[in-house]
Amino acid sequence: MDFIAENLLTILILLPVIGAVSIIGHQMFWKQESHLKWVTLFWTAVNFLLSLFLILDKSAASANGFFFEKNVPWIQAINTNYHIGVDGLSLWLVVLTTFIMPIAVLSTWHAVEKRSNAFYVFLLLLESAMIGVFCSLDLLVFYLFFEASLVPMFFLIGIWGGENRIYAAVKFFIYTALGSLLMLVAIIGLYYIHADQTGTGTFDFVTLLNSLKTGTMVFSHQTGLLLFLAFALAFSIKVPLFPFHTWLPDAHTEAPTAGSVILAAVLLKMGTYGLMRFNFTLFPEASRELAWIFIILSIIGIIYGALVAMVQPDIKRLVAYSSVAHMGFVMLGMFSFTEMGMQGALYQMLNHGISTGALFLLVGFIYERRHTRAITEYGGLASVMPIYATIFVFTTMSSIGLPFLNGFVGEFLTMIGMWNSTAVSYPRLATMFAGTGVIFAAVYLLWMVQRVFFGKVTNPKNKTLKDLSWREIGLIAPLLFLMVYMGVYPAPFLDRSRESIVAIEERLTKQAGGTIEHAESVPKAVIQTAKPAAH
Amino acid sequence: MNTILLQNLVNPNVNLPIVLPEMIVALTGVIVMLYDSFVPRQRSVTGAISLIGLAISAFFLVSMWNDAPQTGWNGMIASDGLRLSFTIVFLLVSAVTILISSVWADNEDVPIGEYHALLLFATFGMMFMASGNDLVIIFLGLETLSIATYVMAGLRRGDLKSNESAMKYFILGSFASAFLLYGMALIYGATGSTNITEIALKVANPNFPALLLVGGAMMIVGFGFKVATVPFHVWTPDVYEGAPTPVTAFMAVGSKSAAFASFLRVFVLGFPLIAGVQASEFLHESWVTALSVMAILTMTVGNIAAILQDNVKRMLAYSSIAHAGYAMVGFIGAGMAKNMQQRDAAIAAVAFYMLTYAVTNLGAFAIVTLLGQKNDRRTAFEDYNGIGFRAPALAFTLSLFMLSLLGLPLTAGFMGKVMVFRPALEANNLLLTVMVIAAAVNTAISAYYYLRLIVVMFFRERTTDWLAPRIPTALTAALLITVLGVLYFGIFSDGVIEKFSKSSVGTVFKAGTRP
Repeated sequence: MDFIAENLLTILILLPVIGAVSIIGHQMFWKQESHLKWVTLFWTAVNFLLSLFLILDKSAASANGFFFEKNVPWIQAINTNYHIGVDGLSLWLVVLTTFIMPIAVLSTWHAVEKRSNAFYVFLLLLESAMIGVFCSLDLLVFYLFFEASLVPMFFLIGIWGGENRIYAAVKFFIYTALGSLLMLVAIIGLYYIHADQTGTGTFDFVTLLNSLKTGTMVFSHQTGLLLFLAFALAFSIKVPLFPFHTWLPDAHTEAPTAGSVILAAVLLKMGTYGLMRFNFTLFPEASRELAWIFIILSIIGIIYGALVAMVQPDIKRLVAYSSVAHMGFVMLGMFSFTEMGMQGALYQMLNHGISTGALFLLVGFIYERRHTRAITEYGGLASVMPIYATIFVFTTMSSIGLPFLNGFVGEFLTMIGMWNSTAVSYPRLATMFAGTGVIFAAVYLLWMVQRVFFGKVTNPKNKTLKDLSWREIGLIAPLLFLMVYMGVYPAPFLDRSRESIVAIEERLTKQAGGTIEHAESVPKAVIQTAKPAAH
Repeated sequence: MNTILLQNLVNPNVNLPIVLPEMIVALTGVIVMLYDSFVPRQRSVTGAISLIGLAISAFFLVSMWNDAPQTGWNGMIASDGLRLSFTIVFLLVSAVTILISSVWADNEDVPIGEYHALLLFATFGMMFMASGNDLVIIFLGLETLSIATYVMAGLRRGDLKSNESAMKYFILGSFASAFLLYGMALIYGATGSTNITEIALKVANPNFPALLLVGGAMMIVGFGFKVATVPFHVWTPDVYEGAPTPVTAFMAVGSKSAAFASFLRVFVLGFPLIAGVQASEFLHESWVTALSVMAILTMTVGNIAAILQDNVKRMLAYSSIAHAGYAMVGFIGAGMAKNMQQRDAAIAAVAFYMLTYAVTNLGAFAIVTLLGQKNDRRTAFEDYNGIGFRAPALAFTLSLFMLSLLGLPLTAGFMGKVMVFRPALEANNLLLTVMVIAAAVNTAISAYYYLRLIVVMFFRERTTDWLAPRIPTALTAALLITVLGVLYFGIFSDGVIEKFSKSSVGTVFKAGTRP
């Protein structure tokens, strides 16, 4: 037990890999493809249960402010360490990952017929890489997992995707790789700046951050901007921020259902997580200086994503564009640089994972039945599939942000955060523009619901559709439960992340005046004005 | 001067242990040739003799690893980090090439004994290119290597393409050698010495003749050809496509690394920057700038041309051009190093890069050889259509190599790239930083064509019949070595990098510290 507690994160990362090996072994000796989904479900479920220890654990954080921290030398020649740990920011994202995986596996129960062995292997490898991204505290290790997550997804889209899968897969890969390679250059650049000024180069995030905080490592204004941009580009492509979003609709639409769910629920979060974890803390000055660009782009993303979603003839594409809009909200909340806004952004990340993940699952259900995603093919489904319709409408409400459902809490917090932001100019104008996005979201989602579910059944093929099976209800039920739970009682989630978010906020605002004297007086005032409104 | 020369002639400072690895390889070559003339066409026997010879040579090389850097034969041979790390790469390349060639030898009627002997002589030449601390030795090594590879490229005598390949390589190669030799002559004229250590000292002379500059430029042409950098790369695709695939693998990996070894020694150790000496500053700046521009061009042209190819061998040829560009990033980083330690680390980085490139590329070529069948008929992208799930082991292995060439984490290619980018960024120089950014952007471009092979193998369906080939034992061994290499150097590279850098103590010349 002690061993597990001590190495929990490593186990979470490695268990899926062991699972993948077990599948290859199983395939070699038994050749029973029908067993594989059970094997995969077993490993992902075990991983989820183990990850619950992360939440239940009440032990104190390490000196660096992380839980379950582990620091083992990896390549000493370049001083890179296998340094992992979680804090309030990454904790929920790790749990979200392990939570969504069994659901994704269940969703493929009948969908993946061909080459299911390879499918499950890639799915498990993907899980391992995703957990690695959220846990790594060494920049090189982070980059490693960040890139490693590309390959399984590339295969998932390319082999089991829709008609246009090759284009989508290659586009997805190259877009993301371009961004992350520039980040690699920036990471190595940081290594040398640290080596130059302190004598030892390091990729260790915590060490770099401490050197920056204590002033033993400083970089010029211009260098800071360039490094910030190199990191931000990689993450903005991943989020995706307008105008880097074009890979997303293709990838989402062509990916198999499990792929879309994981893409929406977890992969996109790597971008926003990376910005918050690395950009905000390593380059606070540059973050403040360039925040306006990101705010404008996220507002464009919110409105543009919503408008484009409105005219999509394909349900899955519509949901994909809604992701662009939703992630715009997350970005907006982050760049408010207030505790509330960032809390809201983190919360919205989880919400988006749950609601949009659920939407993709639901689209997948109907696709399995009719093999089309065109809105015009449907109509009046509510009378044929009442349970499905109910769940779909419920999920839509969560996505729109109906009060007492999860989406509301996140959107409300981000917007209040932005409204009260003192760190950026014209915060209220930005909030107002973003607010229109909420209305648009209602428009495109409800319009789609109306066209698909209400009215008369016009297409004879739809008359005999079966309603959801128990498996399908069972796999979406946890998501529905969370939508309500997180909408009614967000405190446990927010409490857990508060400390980390406040630390990031302090780091951002401490540089407010640009000088050390300012740092003593300004941030406290900012925090105090922000606090009462928070809860 | 003359009297010193004469003295040296009388007493040539024989130091046999220092060249023992080279001698063993040459001796093995002679044994293989003799054996073959009495008992011809014994593939396994000559192959085994060659492998044993290479292993013994490697053993002696490794046993020299902890010795302090030294020179022998009146400073003509150097045994330092550069020599040791590059030579171990050559021996590995040679051994794996022998294993890969077995398929080819089975399919076609190849004079296998001659081939093995030539391969060993080529390796011998390469080893002297790394250990030669004298322009003459380097040239001799280079010619030994070149002549052997000219013949090897044309070994498929009945095939027009192979003939074309050999002929092109020979004519253009001789042309490049002439440039190199001319450059060496001019440098001798300018400095009065062919010894690189002495040249480096002469460069410190504030009023050196312009001859040195011209000589350096000529040598860039000569080495540029061998390394295949733009604009001296045009021979590469034709020669690589026409030559038998194992020979292509050997040229793409072996010749290139060898050329890099001498290139590094002559320029980084021979033309260093010496603080406060205007002349050396000028020379240094000239070659660093010229090579930086060449590196950027090499990467860009190589990658863009590779995208357009429909033949896997040609694609790999252009990709090898691009990789020469990446290696040059580290090379220039070595040239700009601020102190000895950084310079040695940068040289080790280039050697490590060539090692990672070698295991990856040899593995890829091994599979291309196997799938190419007789006369390399099946080397178009179309021939790989949909084979992914018919021969999953082969296809996933090839995908691994492609991802390593692309430089994805957990593979050798990634560590290689990180290692060569490091010294270039360390220099803190605008041009070098631009070069690294260009390399990063180029890596993303290269994703397109490396992924294309994965795409055709896995994402497309096969319309025609295709039977998965049986993998011969020797090739299995080669694939095992390369796959393990790719993963080992990608994940546990710590030890290797340490070994490479530790021994890379500049024997030859103390580079001046920059202000």
